[in-house]
Parts: sequence; C-alpha cells; structure tokens
Amino acid sequence: MPQPIYEIENLSHRYNRQPVLEIERLTVANSSILGLVGPNGSGKSTLLKLIAFIFQPTEGRILFQGKPAFPFDEAIRSQVTLLTQEPYLMKRTVFKNVAYGLKVRGERGDWRRPVHDALNLVGLDAEAFSRRQWDELSGGEAQRVALAARLVLKPTVLLLDEPTASVDAASSELIRSASLRARSEWGTTLVIASHDRQWLHDVCDDVVHLFKGKLAGSGRSNMIFGPWFREDDDVYGKRLDDDQRLWVSVPPSADATAFLDPGDIRILGEGETVDTAATAVVQGTVIRLALEKTSGHLFADVRIGSLILVVRIAESRLATMTLHRGWPVSLAYRPANIRWR
Amino acid sequence: MDFILAGFIEAVRLLFGGDGQTWSAVAATLKASTGSMATSLVLGIPLGFVLGYFDFPAKRQARLLVDTALALPTVFIGLVVYAFISNRGPLGEMGLLFTLPGIAIGQTILALPIVIALSATAVESMDRHLRTLLISLGAGRRQLLLSSLWEVRYGLLAAGLAAYGRVMTEVGISMMVGGNIKWHTRTITTAIALETGKGMFATGIALGLVLIGIAFAVNVCLSFLRKR
Repeated sequence: MPQPIYEIENLSHRYNRQPVLEIERLTVANSSILGLVGPNGSGKSTLLKLIAFIFQPTEGRILFQGKPAFPFDEAIRSQVTLLTQEPYLMKRTVFKNVAYGLKVRGERGDWRRPVHDALNLVGLDAEAFSRRQWDELSGGEAQRVALAARLVLKPTVLLLDEPTASVDAASSELIRSASLRARSEWGTTLVIASHDRQWLHDVCDDVVHLFKGKLAGSGRSNMIFGPWFREDDDVYGKRLDDDQRLWVSVPPSADATAFLDPGDIRILGEGETVDTAATAVVQGTVIRLALEKTSGHLFADVRIGSLILVVRIAESRLATMTLHRGWPVSLAYRPANIRWR
Repeated sequence: MDFILAGFIEAVRLLFGGDGQTWSAVAATLKASTGSMATSLVLGIPLGFVLGYFDFPAKRQARLLVDTALALPTVFIGLVVYAFISNRGPLGEMGLLFTLPGIAIGQTILALPIVIALSATAVESMDRHLRTLLISLGAGRRQLLLSSLWEVRYGLLAAGLAAYGRVMTEVGISMMVGGNIKWHTRTITTAIALETGKGMFATGIALGLVLIGIAFAVNVCLSFLRKR
C-alpha cells in the first residue's frame, strides 16, 4: 500500500489553553485531493497551518512522507506550501513576489521562465503584471499572484484555505483550475478547506468534516445547527423559513448540532406514504443533482426554506423516479437516525 | 529683527567662505553622530525585533523600561557618562572624557531606546500573515528574520531618522562629556549655545542652517531610497 503523504496521530492544539483541535487519526494519500468542510471556528485553518508546519501542535505528531516533521525542517521547506484566505503579498513587485521561493531555495539561473509560466498558469499576463507593485493589484489579482508564488515551486503539497472566499468569480475559476492542474501535472497533493461543498464534492477524492475542532465524519453529510424549540416532552424541532418544522430527537444541549446522513433521507415517490409516528416528512425543491466521483452514487441537494439537505438517491429508486432541478419533492427521515455533537 | 537678518547674511559668508571654526563644529558633529548612530542601529534593530516579534516572560516590563528610557534627559545621560569616564570613574583609564568617542557613547545611550522602541513598534505592526507567507515559500529562520526586517524597512528607517534627529540636536551630552573644546569637541549644538551666549548670532544661525541642511540631505536620500 503506497505510503500516505501525511499521517496525523493524536493531534491536539490549544490557543491560550483553549482546545481548538483534537484529531485522533487522519491520513492523507499521496497525490490525492482532500476537502475540509466545517463551520467557522471548526479548526480547518488551524489544521492547515499545522500540516503546513507553520507552527508545532501542542501535542501529537505529524508524519510527512513517513517521518516526523517540524517547522523549518529541510525535508518540508519548499515542498509544502499554504495559500491563506486573505491575499497577502510582500511589499515588492509581482515578479519578486513570485520569485521569492526560488530565491530562498537557492535556485540559480534565469527565473523569468518559471515566473512567467506560473503567472500564465493563473491567468495573468506575465509581461503586463511582472513589474507591477504589490499595491497595484485587485484582490483577485493579488490572490492569483499569491498562488503563482506557490505553484512556481511545483510543491509536493498545496494547502488551500478558502482560496476563493475573497475574490471575484473569474479569479475564483482561475484559482480552482490552476490548483487542479498542479495535481494533474506534478502529482501535487491538495488539501482544500472551503465552504463551497459542491465544488469540494466535485473535485475531491474525499471530504472530511470538522466540527468544534474534531473530525465529524467524512463524505457527504448534513450538518444542521439550532436553535431547537421544544414541542413536547421528547419532541424537538427547528423552525424553517417557510414555516415548516424539521423534527429531531432530543438534543443533548441547546447549542448541539445535528448530523443526518444523506443515506438516511428518502425522496418519497408520488402517492407514497410513511408511518408518521416514527418518520418525519418535509417538503423541498431539488436545486442540484450530482454524481459522486468516488462512489458513483447520485446525490440531490434539496432546499427546504433556507436549509439545504443532501440526499443520497438509492440506485433501486432511480428507475422509478423523475428528478430534475426545480422539482418539488417530499423528504422522509427518521429523527431517531440523527446523531448529535 | 535687523540683527536676525544680518545673522543670516553672515551665516552664508561663514559657510561659503570656509570658516574654520564653523566647519570644525560640523565635522565634530558628524563624527560623533555617525559613530553613535551606527552603534545604536546595530544593537537597537535586533533588540527591537526581538521585543516586537517574540512573546517571552517579562516582555511587558522590558517594553516599559525601553519606553521610559525614551524620556531620559540628555543632561542626565551626560552626567552618568561623565561619572563613568571621568578620572574617578570605573572607565577613567580609557581617556574618553572630553573626546568625540565619549560623546558618541552618550549619544548611543540616547539613541538606543528610540531605535529599540520604534523598531519594536514597526515589527509589531507587521502583518500577521507575513510569517505564514514566508514559511510557506520555504524561508528558513535566517531568511524569515531578514525578510521580515525588509518588509518593515520603512518603519526601521523612521526609527533611525527619529534617533538621528535626537542625536544631532542634543546639547547636554555634548556639553558635559565633550567639554565644548574648540577645534576638538565643539559640536554644532554646543557652538550655537556658546556663540549665542556671546552675542555672535551669525555663527549660531550658520550652524543652525547646517543642522537643517544635514537633516534635509538625509531625508532626500531616504526619500530616494523609498522610491526605489
């Protein structure tokens, strides 16, 4: 079995004694694309900085290519690179920003060719942009230059923290395609944190969920936040925008988050009924259909008010069902199947 | 008012006529200030970087000490240095009293807290993303330090300029430690004090113009460097 590029064991990190990340075990396969999803504060950025070796974890260890690695190790310098959410460049020209990594790596010779290639890769005209100063760029251009500065190194690992959060749509597309080209051309391992779940599920080999600093499963999942209101002794629910109620089992606390597996939700066929004593039903509209790359399963994103639930459509039902975007559907699920964190 | 105007006219004559005493004071000032600035920058910038960049025990107290030292009166520094390098002091045998190196030592003590405090402020204002960026691009510890300093270079230049201005215009240290000896340790500022006291306004004004001229020339050079 090929060696993973990362092996994380009993990782724990604290800021001012506050725990922010606790991961028992996580591996990342070489040349794979791993997605990280989770709400703000779930630990995605911290995890990326730890595996970028920006700082050391409070406890635990991270193996890189089978060996323990630490900040400033020769083995990881220029091999692992992180692109942060906010575009940030050094106070120098675009050319010098992109060439900086080549300079610190001690590469001699003419840097123009690799710098120009990297700028072209992110959709920037090298001749037009090379001499521009860092403060003469738009946000999207700055983020693309920042990405070029990493791609010029042809890194073994490229870590992307919300790479398209602060940029325009055109820049966003260029950043995404350039990142994926790194994998296809150089076998670069990508680890991407993003709120764009659709994109992650489209491009990633696996998607890992983080919640309050801990792993909360992988693949597609529904993470539903409160507040929860109490209808009866053991009946709780969430009020949705369209006056519907999403009934759940008893939450362990007022701020608990519900997890509902896409396989535990069923799209009801026309005229189909369910046992309402144990099953809840909500009405929604299909907004997206997607075929998962790794499993081959079909998934539907269904909007119910402001909530979007991901539903896995069983193969046995595909032949009997007509679905397309904008189609109204009824979803059935058992509140007892909800997991809480 | 007439005497001020006459003073300006006489100042131009002294300067462009190559008056010996005038230019001797200028040379003494430049020698002492160059030595003190070089020392305070070499010591102060790294110390300021450490103070601004790292978290360590008693960091707040260290910063408090440095900030307090900013307000040290020049005559007090002059008095302390005099006590150390006079014949009765622990460094009396080094023969530094009434010399330009002695003045430079006092001016270094004056300039050092300024360089440390303003360098620390410049480093503290560094974007928090810079460290992540530099490490992400493969910088080692040494490159991290040098590149970080380069990124805050304008703040460090400002620290140097502020210290230089203070050093160039101080009187207390030069007077007490240097002794205002003609042709030897008479600096621009001690000369101005002396000549004005004698009623020789022309010389005082001339020396004042030189001070302003030096400050202007330094700022022009730095402005040129900033544009590059």
